[in-house]
Amino acid sequence: MTRLDATRRLVGALAPLGDVPIVASLGHPAYDLYAAGDRPANFYTWGSMGLASSVGLGLAMARPDLRVFVLDGDGSLLMNLGSLATIGWVRPANLVVVVWDNEEYGTTGGQQTATAHGSDLEAAARALGTAATATVRSLDALAAAVARAGAEPGPWVIVAKVAESVPAVKPPLDCVFIKQRFMAAIGEAEPGTNGGSQ
Amino acid sequence: MNQPEWAAGVCAGLHAAGSRHVVYVPDNPLSHVLRILNERYADVRTTVATREEEAFGIAAGLYLGGAKPTVMLQSSGLGNSLNALTSLLVPYRIPALIVISMRGDAGEWNEAQVPMGRAVRAICDAIGIPHATAETPAATEEAVRLVAQTAFGTRTAGVCLLPRKVTVPSPARVVA
Repeated sequence: MTRLDATRRLVGALAPLGDVPIVASLGHPAYDLYAAGDRPANFYTWGSMGLASSVGLGLAMARPDLRVFVLDGDGSLLMNLGSLATIGWVRPANLVVVVWDNEEYGTTGGQQTATAHGSDLEAAARALGTAATATVRSLDALAAAVARAGAEPGPWVIVAKVAESVPAVKPPLDCVFIKQRFMAAIGEAEPGTNGGSQ
Repeated sequence: MNQPEWAAGVCAGLHAAGSRHVVYVPDNPLSHVLRILNERYADVRTTVATREEEAFGIAAGLYLGGAKPTVMLQSSGLGNSLNALTSLLVPYRIPALIVISMRGDAGEWNEAQVPMGRAVRAICDAIGIPHATAETPAATEEAVRLVAQTAFGTRTAGVCLLPRKVTVPSPARVVA
């Protein structure tokens, strides 16, 4: 499965849950989330490679009433593996980290990552304290894992083995717009921002 | 255990500003702040990060979820934080109270701490993050509170610096 197909399937599987927040790692994961369907509760990062799971952790801590989804990449997570240790310590039941593992730095030209040479990010998550994990290799398996993660206590780390697919579109570039629209969508509109309206 | 005036002031200042989440990478002086928070501020949640830039990522998520996050670190960790600050907190205008325990300033004994300590203010200026310094142990409450008020009021992360002369008691001042 390509990452775009997987992203579309995931967004579709989450649709019945309403405005669930989705935090996307910079570059292709964010581009594909936009291509799969722009929505106010999407938080597209444009920088800070590696920090998507950390942003998701903080959001999950502040809003335990929300199920928080993170779309990370293998290269990005490898840059911030300590995040798995923190998640394994804090153990927010409402956090779901999906790792699009294409075994390469897709956004920067396809250089291989360590997952192409034996690194196992699901095993890393388990070793660092997260018990609810899965590795999926098909769209149906992904949909089943996401459905479980949306219903059963986490934190969850789902590693999805995907093929790289070159995105054709990019999300909005205005970072403040992304933030204000996102915060309004989850009921945290910043004061004086017109309710975060578009 | 004793409660240093400066550390009690940091706790009171961040609490008065409405911060209920402290994400940190520890250092020796900050251990006083964390101990007081854990003993006396049951409504403040403290979270350890493995690295300073991770702490800023967690803080950004906390803010998106409606919280007013505090990040505490040693000045040496500012170097580890720069990409998070310049490509997440600054462009998205995500505020945080940033409390920095200084190394490398007056009273330092470790040469390896000096270059970053000397650069902290210039770095903050260069990346557009305002900073204030608590000059005395009695000034920490107000300094922290005001930095936080401005940060969350203007949606701009702000730094409160704690010099070593404030956080590390001088042996000369100890009465035998």
